[in-house]
Amino acid sequence: MGAVLLTLALAAAPAGANVISPEPPHSPNADDLNTLYWITLIVVVALIVVVNVALLSAIVRYRERRGREPRQVRSGRRVQVRAAGVLAALAAATFVVSIVFTQKARDRAPTGPQGLQTSATVTGSGAAPIGTSTPPASQSANPLEITATGQQWLWRYTYPNGAFSYYQLVVPVDTSVQLDLVTTDVVHGWFVPELGGKFNAVAGKINHAWFRADQTGTYTGRSSTFSGAAYAADRIEVSVVTPQQYQDFIARQKRDIQDAQDIVVQQIQSGQTP
Amino acid sequence: MTPPPATTLSPGRPELVTSEYPQRRPRWIELATSADHKDVGRMFIGGSLGFLLLATVEWVLMRLQLAIPENTMLRPEFFNRLLSLYGETAIFLFAIPLVVGLVYYVVPLQIGARTTALPRLGQMAFWLWAAGAATLYSSLIFTPPESGVNPLPPLSSLAFAPSNGADVWLGSTGLICTGFVCFAVNMIATLRNLRAPGLAWRRLPPFAWAATVGTWLLGFVSVVMLGAITMLMFDRNVNGIFFEGDAGGSPLLWQHLSWIFFNGAYMLIMIAAFGAIAEIVPTFSRKPLFSREAVMASLAAIAVLGTLAWMQNMYSDPIGIGWSYFAMAMAMLAVIPFGLVLFNLIATMMGGALRIRAPMLFALGAISMIAVGLACELGQSAVGVAWQLQNTSDATASTHYALVGAAILGGLAALHYWFPKMTGRTLGERLGGISFWTILAGLNLSFFPLVLAGLQGQVVDVYKFYSGTGVSGYNLVATIGAFVLALGIVLALANVVFSLRSGVRAGHDPWGGTSLEWLALSPPPPHNFDLLPDVRSHEPLRDIRDAIARQGAGGGEKAAESQPVA
Repeated sequence: MGAVLLTLALAAAPAGANVISPEPPHSPNADDLNTLYWITLIVVVALIVVVNVALLSAIVRYRERRGREPRQVRSGRRVQVRAAGVLAALAAATFVVSIVFTQKARDRAPTGPQGLQTSATVTGSGAAPIGTSTPPASQSANPLEITATGQQWLWRYTYPNGAFSYYQLVVPVDTSVQLDLVTTDVVHGWFVPELGGKFNAVAGKINHAWFRADQTGTYTGRSSTFSGAAYAADRIEVSVVTPQQYQDFIARQKRDIQDAQDIVVQQIQSGQTP
Repeated sequence: MTPPPATTLSPGRPELVTSEYPQRRPRWIELATSADHKDVGRMFIGGSLGFLLLATVEWVLMRLQLAIPENTMLRPEFFNRLLSLYGETAIFLFAIPLVVGLVYYVVPLQIGARTTALPRLGQMAFWLWAAGAATLYSSLIFTPPESGVNPLPPLSSLAFAPSNGADVWLGSTGLICTGFVCFAVNMIATLRNLRAPGLAWRRLPPFAWAATVGTWLLGFVSVVMLGAITMLMFDRNVNGIFFEGDAGGSPLLWQHLSWIFFNGAYMLIMIAAFGAIAEIVPTFSRKPLFSREAVMASLAAIAVLGTLAWMQNMYSDPIGIGWSYFAMAMAMLAVIPFGLVLFNLIATMMGGALRIRAPMLFALGAISMIAVGLACELGQSAVGVAWQLQNTSDATASTHYALVGAAILGGLAALHYWFPKMTGRTLGERLGGISFWTILAGLNLSFFPLVLAGLQGQVVDVYKFYSGTGVSGYNLVATIGAFVLALGIVLALANVVFSLRSGVRAGHDPWGGTSLEWLALSPPPPHNFDLLPDVRSHEPLRDIRDAIARQGAGGGEKAAESQPVA
């Protein structure tokens, strides 16, 4: 029955391809993950259809009837070895394809022509591909490195110039961005489907995610590892802007934070705040 | 002990008949103090079915909250408590104990044992489990656990879960896992030592083999879980740092240990369901299993490969990509044994004469739904796919397809199949059919929309979702489906209750089974068997039927139908 529904959904694919696939990718790594998704979907649907069609046809064909004597056959070894061989080939092919596309998705693409042209001062060093905690030996172009700190129940983003923002991450378009995921409390999952995948921030470790947004606009995501009472409200918004707007934003943000701190310092010094 | 050559039936040895002896104490006291595997097995099965109802109620309540966007019916803390109770109830109080109960009742009969090797240990397993269940639900009078289905530290550490709920979770799960270890030790000893003469390992019925593999697995992963529980208890109560990331411990350690348990438990439920289905399909096709060897080897391989793939739950964590690929390799290798089992089950039906009675109906539905769930799980075991779909409601859906398929459809198949043995009565065929189709419809109606919602990015364990995210319709249908599923479960349980009193009386062998449990009376006397044949093949009852047919030459078919034990 699930198979029937799935097949129906597949038949409607051209009309609503994004009904049966994750949200449309807007980053090279999300592209690769999406391609891998479509390949595995075909394998999955094929398996479901094959098992259920075989099952249904056996039920229809071999119902008990008057005069039908069941054939007392048993399998030889050859049949089983062949069946195992077919399954092994399927598993091996899926495994190889998965590794190829997963590796592609992990390879951080360099910043494009419209992106923020970085110099060593604005970017961090020690950029690492996602899924590892050790940086690789060589790096082509340094990415824009932003620290994403998970906390109950809001994400905080720290930009290279020291400015920070809550809830909304602002990044320049067409720029290779690397997120360093850390947490101040429990495990938090950073998950913006359009920008490629889910990665957990775990205490005591730094995890990495990267993306290169291909269009300006707002992408929404959510925390995706259960994190306590207000978990469902812990959403993520990524605002992709032009490099100039990004530069303005972090400069303004830094100034505003500094101003706010100055006021607080003043108030403390003048005795207004205990 | 040389068996007589001519016949498989040895003359009966006079036994003291105790089954008709008047009971001195009330029935419930007899049951509660009994160490007989049949009594303990029945208590496990009855208890787990009760918790199935409770888990269903909890699931339906959570689905009600998620019926419409931004619902305020349940407070977030209340939802999270419900979620934590549901997870514990569904896994530790329903699915695994149902397997345990069925194995404990049926397998000693299947191997021709008159008792289990360590009956008091088996009895203790039940009472530890009951104590664990009582501990968990005692928290309703103060604070239930609220750290989720798998309470990952630091969310379950003292700093972020200061209430006693987390301690209750640890205490009850610890008691239950200790019970599982007791059960496993007893079952392993029983299977090693108490098989009937001639019943070699290779001649074990599929369910008894599944129990052999499954009890080793359950014993192993329960000990791992007990280790994790002990460490978290240290962390919470005596300033331990096992899971404190900043103090030199690691939160990932809990994830490794607990996922070994949960993955192993998942595989146990699959193995047990396949074992039961591999008894039912041949019996109702009136054909031998297509390849016993392939199915038996596959069940063992599932236990090993499936459990070794525990890190497939941790692809998003900083564990190093190599470990992710290792887990993926194990998960994809497990496709071979899973596929071989399904292939052999369907091949068994080919060329047979299928009697579609209630046990067979449930078994066929289980095969279909398990296939859907396992195929989806295969897709999500690919690292890149899991990055997009892990912890979305897609994962909820595929896990539930596989586990509802195995534990509820497969469990009910096994229950319909062995209920006549346990009670002497058959489960109602009509209500069985109705409940089956309701459950099947409810399962698909409830979980297929969640597949689609997951693709739109809805994540698991949330107490609400927002409007305008494109998942409102899916969630409404899923909630309606949950009610249909719940109705089906209630009908199935009602069938059990009615049939206990008024089911059609069944003989000792209502289905024409081929393994030794069908030789015993229904229900079996406390000592199970008055006399046992020497087992010469993996189908001892078929041998007996053939022998009787040969002895009563002229009696022919009629003799074969008559009771082999006078």
